[in-house]
Amino acid sequence: MSAVPLNSGRTASLAVRPGLKRSQRRRQLTALAMLTPALLGLAIFFVFPLLASVVFSFTRYDLLSDPQWVGLLNYEYLFTKDPKVWIAAGNTLWFVVILVPVRMLTSLLVAMLLVRARQASGFWRTAFYLPALVPPVASVVAFVFLFNPGTGPVNTIIGFFGGQGPLWFNDPALSKPSLLLLGVWVLGDIMIIFLAALLDVPREQYEAAELDGASSAQRFRYVTLPNIVPVLVFALVTGVIAALQYFTEAAVASSVASGKATVGEGAGSTIGYPDDSLLTFTQWIYVRGFSNFQLGYASALAVLLFVVAALFLVLLLRRVKAFTPEEAQG
Amino acid sequence: MSALTLTTGAASATPTRARPRPRTPSKIVVWVAEHTLLALLLVLFIAPIIFVALTSFMTSDQALTSALWPDPWSIETYVKAFETVPLVRWFANSALYAVLATGFMLLSSVPAAYALSRLKFKGANVIFVAIVVAMLLPPQITAVPLYVMWVKAGMTGTLLPLILPNLLGDAFSIFLLRQFFLTIPREYSDAARVDGASEWGILWRVVIPMARPGIAAAGLFLFFHSWNDYYGPLLYTSENQAWWPVAYGLATFRGSHSTNWGLTMAITMLVMIPVVLIFFFAQRVFVEGITLTGVKG
Amino acid sequence: MKMQRPLAAIIAIAAVTALAACSGPSNQEISPTAPAHLEGTVSLWHFFSDREADVIQSVVDDFEAANPDVTVDVHSGQDDEKLQKAIAAGNNVDVGISYSTDIVGAFCSSGAFRDLGPYIERDGVDVGQFSETTASYTQFEGTRCALPVLADAYGLYVNDDMLADAGYDHAPQTMEELEEMALAMTTYKDDGSIDVLGFNPLMGYYENTPTNWAMTVGATWLKDDGTSNIGSDSGWAEILQWQKDFVDAIGYDKLQAYSAGMGQEFSADNAFQTGKLAMNFDGEYRTAFIADQAPDLNYSTVPIPTLADHSDSYGGGYVTGNIGGIAKNSKNPELAWALLEYLTTDTDAVVKLSNGLKNAPTITSALESPDLEVTPQFQTFLDIIQSPNSKTTPPSKVGAGYQQAMGDYWNKFQQGDGGDLTDGLTGVDTAINDSLALVDGP
Repeated sequence: MSAVPLNSGRTASLAVRPGLKRSQRRRQLTALAMLTPALLGLAIFFVFPLLASVVFSFTRYDLLSDPQWVGLLNYEYLFTKDPKVWIAAGNTLWFVVILVPVRMLTSLLVAMLLVRARQASGFWRTAFYLPALVPPVASVVAFVFLFNPGTGPVNTIIGFFGGQGPLWFNDPALSKPSLLLLGVWVLGDIMIIFLAALLDVPREQYEAAELDGASSAQRFRYVTLPNIVPVLVFALVTGVIAALQYFTEAAVASSVASGKATVGEGAGSTIGYPDDSLLTFTQWIYVRGFSNFQLGYASALAVLLFVVAALFLVLLLRRVKAFTPEEAQG
Repeated sequence: MSALTLTTGAASATPTRARPRPRTPSKIVVWVAEHTLLALLLVLFIAPIIFVALTSFMTSDQALTSALWPDPWSIETYVKAFETVPLVRWFANSALYAVLATGFMLLSSVPAAYALSRLKFKGANVIFVAIVVAMLLPPQITAVPLYVMWVKAGMTGTLLPLILPNLLGDAFSIFLLRQFFLTIPREYSDAARVDGASEWGILWRVVIPMARPGIAAAGLFLFFHSWNDYYGPLLYTSENQAWWPVAYGLATFRGSHSTNWGLTMAITMLVMIPVVLIFFFAQRVFVEGITLTGVKG
Repeated sequence: MKMQRPLAAIIAIAAVTALAACSGPSNQEISPTAPAHLEGTVSLWHFFSDREADVIQSVVDDFEAANPDVTVDVHSGQDDEKLQKAIAAGNNVDVGISYSTDIVGAFCSSGAFRDLGPYIERDGVDVGQFSETTASYTQFEGTRCALPVLADAYGLYVNDDMLADAGYDHAPQTMEELEEMALAMTTYKDDGSIDVLGFNPLMGYYENTPTNWAMTVGATWLKDDGTSNIGSDSGWAEILQWQKDFVDAIGYDKLQAYSAGMGQEFSADNAFQTGKLAMNFDGEYRTAFIADQAPDLNYSTVPIPTLADHSDSYGGGYVTGNIGGIAKNSKNPELAWALLEYLTTDTDAVVKLSNGLKNAPTITSALESPDLEVTPQFQTFLDIIQSPNSKTTPPSKVGAGYQQAMGDYWNKFQQGDGGDLTDGLTGVDTAINDSLALVDGP
């Protein structure tokens, strides 16, 4: 997949063709035909619900009776009265600020070690990538089991060495760090991108730096880093986006760790366990919307999330080459 | 970018980079240190799966203790798993969801990605940016109106709200496919165009055959995404057990059935195995897909 | 392009409103006489699973046998969240049974459950046969949209052997007594962690809910207008402080470690059933679990103890229960009513359900029925149901929201993060009243 000069020769070959206007027109129509399903999809499943969320956020709506216009009531409650919205926002922020950088750093470390491992490189790479393949629900269930305070292997092993294992997913102070361990375990998805980028750094640059007498730290700083910056930015942006919507891992961890029968109550009843320490913003939207059926209020929360995510996208989108349309070819 | 693969790529990637390795003592020390660190990390990375597997082979009673090693080895929990919950049904639902979603997505998204990568038309950039934004924004933002829509369509309680939208394109897949199509040299399609081929013809006869790995990767991503999906089924099918996919079933399993870890670990293993198997058969395609999203662009 | 944008927005808004507003009118007209012959299919949604679902099925079978042309389509394992989704989505729900009374406020006021008044009046059903508490929690603001399908009463379970080993010959009547006995029965492992616990005072553990603890002081939840009464009822502050002192006497961290290591409440490794816990608040249904999973356990049951200065409210317990109603979208409400009536007022059906589920029957005829299987442990709960000192959680438009607000604060308080107790409870009042205003304000 070497860089192919995508623009070469194309304009010339088009320019000499007769009937350009007509062929362009036809191509426009073809493009439209090819894009019709996707455009409809964007309209029905993205643009329309986005606008509708805003409308709903000014209503009181439980799906059973008609929506009722309540003006700014939902927003007033959100910003001044909701007892948990800031807990939820804080937890989500934790995952953005801690989980994302820690995953990136450990991924980079593992990738750099893997670049150096020349013998049996395939074995090493597969081994470190494998956990990323495990379906998230399965990996969370597995981790809650491994770290369960009663019979979990982790605390059993700590016990062998005479230690007293902590409560992990059952301790409000450790539940997020426990999920961080899980996040590091499944670092394969980022690691593999970093590994590809590291392998792509031109060897000559290292050799030149070595001839100049650069230390290994300097080689990293002046050769490696500049080459992998685009990939780091990509991982950062997608990581933050994923952290903003952190849901499955936290919800399943809460449900499994609580050991509580949800008989009768539903998924919403264990969300956040222990002590709301795993209550993330998207889960709060779920609880309000689909557990309490306050769909209007859930929409107000969604609008807030949209504003935050959009601000973030505006700030960072342009920095990721893949997300900018410049490459769209004519 | 060099072809990076996990189990087979080493040979092809190394020779071009190989350089005489100075066998000085300090280099050997570094080599040993690096490999020791790798080996230690490896143990930590593999251990969770080993422990899950070991626990799944314990008897139900032993799985309740803090024992680490099965004694005796037993497949009791696997047998029980099929008796306790409708596992076959769950797997069938997951397969149905993943296969239909993937098929529908390819039908709708391949032409769209082609148009965005190859055809010049007014508004192309706007559409591309809209797709990127739709791909990146958290799905919970639109959850309420979408839910209301599916309620009014009478389709909640089934997997249809998760499958049908793929007929109208999937943002991430379109994005990924477009990235792939951009890597195919234009000379081929230009040549076909000079020969009088229509755009549909070029897509069908030139681009798709050349982009097969990319299409396979996009398909695999959506397949895995659907197979692993928890949020979607929670929202749309939680009230209808007949349509639970296996990932959702596993998540609710410990809550709704008074049960033990051994059984849970057996089901966890069963959920993992298909994904890992598919990966080993298609890993080249898969890894290429991942790296292409991030590196190329 | 620019001109079209506001237009597009208007169309979108109109579309949303149209979508949302097309929930059809609910037709509450009913025929003047009950149909002489029942036929068709009726769907029953309930939350039970496994063994308990089989019990429901056996009664459903009886109903089908009595009405040969009727088929009951049973959906088991449907918790409140799912039931509400299904009803809101207009799925095929005729009769819905919820595990608790928490949805009554929302379901009665929104019409998710139909008003049963017309049917009750037409068919001359005697509402007086239900105990006063169960009759009260199945209606909201004058609308009866549900009937009680068996009741749950909560009391104290005591392991007699462990009590005897510690030198006690009777179960505690006051919480002070309970604490003294609990501390005496608690044993520790070599590393200082708890091995066997006399009583676990941690809020949130198993059935350690604010509702059960409220019984120790007879505290009340809501004022008549539906707003919170927690800050105004001095009993709350009293029991919160007392409970925290109890927690501190053993140590929050130790209790937390113990609780996390114990088996799941509804599994065979429930701590009371395995003998790791000597005394425990629990519902009457536990007697069935014990008979099934720990038949050799030697135990007895008593009403929830009170604080010594609240002994006048002794004898009662927290009473709640399963409730059933007819869904808004029911396509065959007459059939649904017939099934609901059978499940809730037919003596044989109620006795059979009660015997199978070991839940308390809610109608007088079933309570007096010779067929009702009553063990001494179960009798305690039948007495509790009929006790004037028993209390329930009143239906509210915020459902269980007010109990959660209390539970959340209590949880913080027992860890020492609750700040000043009076301010904290006032805060709970505000939180409850705010959320009430969100769903029901002007």
